[in-house]
Amino acid sequence: MADKQLILVVDDDPDLVDSVSMKLENGGFRTVKAYDGLEAWDKIKQEKPAMVLLDVMMPRKNGYELCDEIKKDPQYKDLTVVLLTAVADNVPTSTYTHLDGKSTLADDYIAKPIDLDKLMEIVKDNLVR
Amino acid sequence: MTDKGLAELSYRPKILVVDDEQRIRDGCHRVLTEEGCEVAGAADGKIGLEMIEKEHYDIILLDLMMPGLSGFDVLSQVKAIHPDTLIIVISGYATVEHSVEAMKKGAFDFIPKPFSPDQLRVLISKAIEYSGALKDIATEKSRMRVLINRLTDGVLATDSRQRVVLANPAFLRMIDHKGGEMIGRDAGEVFLNEQIPKMLGQALDMIGEDIAEATEEITSLQKGEKEPAILAARCIPFRDRAGRNVGAIIVLHDITALKKMDQAKSDFVSMVAHEIRSPMNSVLMQLQVVLDGLAGEIGEKQRSIIQRASERIKGLISLSTELLDLAKMESGLINQERESFDMVEVVKDQVEFHQEKARAKNLTLEFTGSPSPMRILANKRNIEEVASNLISNAISYTPEGGSIKASVEREGEFVRMSVADTGCGISREDQERIFDPFYRVKNENTRYIVGTGLGLAIVKSIVDAHHGIIRVESELNQGTTFNVLIPSDAF
Repeated sequence: MADKQLILVVDDDPDLVDSVSMKLENGGFRTVKAYDGLEAWDKIKQEKPAMVLLDVMMPRKNGYELCDEIKKDPQYKDLTVVLLTAVADNVPTSTYTHLDGKSTLADDYIAKPIDLDKLMEIVKDNLVR
Repeated sequence: MTDKGLAELSYRPKILVVDDEQRIRDGCHRVLTEEGCEVAGAADGKIGLEMIEKEHYDIILLDLMMPGLSGFDVLSQVKAIHPDTLIIVISGYATVEHSVEAMKKGAFDFIPKPFSPDQLRVLISKAIEYSGALKDIATEKSRMRVLINRLTDGVLATDSRQRVVLANPAFLRMIDHKGGEMIGRDAGEVFLNEQIPKMLGQALDMIGEDIAEATEEITSLQKGEKEPAILAARCIPFRDRAGRNVGAIIVLHDITALKKMDQAKSDFVSMVAHEIRSPMNSVLMQLQVVLDGLAGEIGEKQRSIIQRASERIKGLISLSTELLDLAKMESGLINQERESFDMVEVVKDQVEFHQEKARAKNLTLEFTGSPSPMRILANKRNIEEVASNLISNAISYTPEGGSIKASVEREGEFVRMSVADTGCGISREDQERIFDPFYRVKNENTRYIVGTGLGLAIVKSIVDAHHGIIRVESELNQGTTFNVLIPSDAF
């Protein structure tokens, strides 16, 4: 692949962002990092990534809000959004539902704690489509 | 017999004889003193009234025909000042009309002149007994009034038409009542809050055997700077001997502090769990980065230590998840959002979901129950959690090469979910404690199994909240079967 695809990794925990980025770069992707929802919006507009890995609980603007805004923006609605959620890993629901019943428009989700191999699978699956 | 009756009294009845005839006063004094009474005399109505104003008498013997004030005048005035005092009329000329008129004005009885000491004794004894009953009622009333007024719970009683007959100070304070006298007013017009009149109405509509306490949570309408109080209201009708509703009682209990504590506890647990979980998630990923060789080559020994460390961190992460679940459940969320769904589907999904873990341990995991749908009315996430906990426990506690069978069957009014394994089993004494929070079976079989000891406690509280039953059958080194019964929604 001559042109490595760009993925934006967003989480308020820098160690998590670093680990995920290392894995992705090792797997042949380029990454860009952001540590809250507002910063993520700026990076999306500047860098035009192919995918956003988006944490839910973040300062300034949380992942749900940002995800909704992306999906409602005509210019960015086709951007793939994968949520990183702390929902228990034993719930086999494919459409992630927030604890208070708020559903989101995300393309997929990965439950925390994140299994890096599973993360790679999900990233590849979603970028192929 | 009368002697005996009077001797048993705990107090000396006070009697006043109002008669212009010295002979009658002396005679009564002699007979009644012998009976253990304290007797005073008055020669006419005016003197009598003065004495009555100064002192309370239990019984008054009153001559109707006296010079000056007549017996009838004395009678009405005594009734006005001391309604509890019993008056026995002495009628000099035994005409029925006078006696009847005296009775109408409130006399207790009459005795015609001349009378014998025995007649007097019998009558006085009867009067004392009656006066004792009146005293008891008065004592009871006063005791009740003090009791109700001293209660810290609010109490309101109404008659059958919802008019207020009693409201204690705690009640008035709780509803922040400042609108003046409440007794006699319509409950609907007194309360700005609609819930109280509504509860009263429901209570008063209960008929026959169908009597139940209505309970409701009321947020008090306190105006101004004060935070609204949360009150638990209980309402029940009260009945007469014929079983008719004659009124209703509401008791208010202030649960604001309790609610706040509960909330604070849940918030605290959530905060701690989140604060612990996030960094642990990061640590786990960092370990994985190292394991994957992304940070340079690692040796076999290093790999096995880091793998073990990862397992321990995963254990801590699920502990924090389960603490959160427990906190959520304790704050009552478990009862929310019930829906009718098919338990077979839920269990099948969970079997599918856990296949990977089972295969990793070389276990067979299969669904063996009936394929036809069996509906229950429950919280779906809760039931998923029950199935998931039981299956993942079975995977953890079954040695390699074993098998796990999950099934769903009907059992009477219930739908039963069973998870059976060929694992290490649970001893009889451990069986009694496995549902306690943080309890874990510790022996050579379980030493390396990572767990929190909360899984079954959560299962149990979910089952209890759904009015279900959980049973465990187990044989050491043979296997364990967990059965969860949830009321069916078939009908």
